[in-house]
Amino acid sequence: MTIAIVKYGMGNVASVQKVLKKLGYTSIITDDHTAIKQANLILLPGVGSFKKGMENLHNSGLVELLTEEVLMNKKPFIGICLGMQLVATHGNEPERIEGLGWIDGEVVKIESPKGLRVPHLGWNTITTTNSDELYTSSNHKDYYFIHSYHFKAKNPEEVTFTVKYDGVMVAALQKDNMYVMQFHPEKSQEAGLGLLKKIIDQYA
Amino acid sequence: MLKCRVIPVLTFNGFALVKTKGFGSNARMVGNAVQAAKVYNSRNVDELVFLDIYASDKNKKMNLQMARLIINECYMPVTLGGGIKTLKDIEDLLAIGADKVVLKNKIIEAPEFINEASDVYGNQCITLAIDAVKKEDGQYYLYNRLDREILLFEFLTKINDYNFGEIILTSVNNDGMMDGFDIELVQQVEKITNVPIVVSGGAGEPSHFKELFSKTNIEAVAAASIFHFTRYTPRDLKLAIQSVGRPVRLIERDYIPKN
Repeated sequence: MTIAIVKYGMGNVASVQKVLKKLGYTSIITDDHTAIKQANLILLPGVGSFKKGMENLHNSGLVELLTEEVLMNKKPFIGICLGMQLVATHGNEPERIEGLGWIDGEVVKIESPKGLRVPHLGWNTITTTNSDELYTSSNHKDYYFIHSYHFKAKNPEEVTFTVKYDGVMVAALQKDNMYVMQFHPEKSQEAGLGLLKKIIDQYA
Repeated sequence: MLKCRVIPVLTFNGFALVKTKGFGSNARMVGNAVQAAKVYNSRNVDELVFLDIYASDKNKKMNLQMARLIINECYMPVTLGGGIKTLKDIEDLLAIGADKVVLKNKIIEAPEFINEASDVYGNQCITLAIDAVKKEDGQYYLYNRLDREILLFEFLTKINDYNFGEIILTSVNNDGMMDGFDIELVQQVEKITNVPIVVSGGAGEPSHFKELFSKTNIEAVAAASIFHFTRYTPRDLKLAIQSVGRPVRLIERDYIPKN
């Protein structure tokens, strides 16, 4: 199988490819429409602001293409960090802006009434109430987070992992063929690589 | 719960891994940076910071080839710093897999660059290097090689209006001395900023970490000498931090397979 890592000028593509290679998968970093259509799985990484991310996707005609592949054709999809946030209905970084709208929810700035530091930065424990082995194997493990905005999901049943900071935040979501996570599995050593492998191997 | 981070720092002088004392020019050679990154990766450190001090001091671009080799060894987050001046510089570093970049001279010369960078790459990846030097008058100044006299806390208060994600706070006086952190400095800076602070400068033994984490609320610490010159590993320091009631991430693993 081939994994298309979407190239849209938003950061950490090299780290993702390095990890996929270590796990034994073939991947390409690309913005080419044909290559993305031919791939068996699409991975949207990214760091940066929501607005810039959407702009870049629009500018390369990727919004329509990705929506067709992921939403219509149900191609397996993994979104990481900004790539997770962009699937929301709306984002707010720096102002309110429309997202891909694949999973209902709004990405909003992290507020900390307790005065905790923002960004939420570092290793934090994720928990799940889902009994699927895909998720239980990562339950109570530490993953690396780095974000100032968080995904407020509309449908709680789509939330797979949560994380505690000042209150409980969404750490990951799943809807049909879409697996999206706020933390960086590609930066979370064994715990992260293990989770990525489990998700991808369902389709390998 | 969010864990306290222990972060080794690799300082590269354009040729080898080095360790300075008081930011002096008599840096000691301590080995190969890529090899060191490999060891830290195997020890499951929380993060790694790589600073190209040659680029920073000589006003040059960072050695991308070296940075790439370092990142290739790491399956944890890596922060890169040294000679960053343009958005293109940041993009180049993020493209090879950096998670954060460190801005230093640029924030003195053109603080508005902080916001320009955050608008594009997000504030979470913009880290500021704040090097504090305590002078004979007892006041803290911002250490810089631009020959400017800048009062530290004034500067921090001003810079706080800009959009960035983290501060690496280094005590220049304590750098490489291995006799403890400047707790007073940390307590002052904590009051000024609300972003995560990585404290650096002075780590020599586990008791220093106990003191830092019991007297302040910071969640991250960076160190170099203690790893180069003593028997202590990042894990030992995490155990010290844990002993004063702060959360840390400990990875249990068998080095000799059981079967």
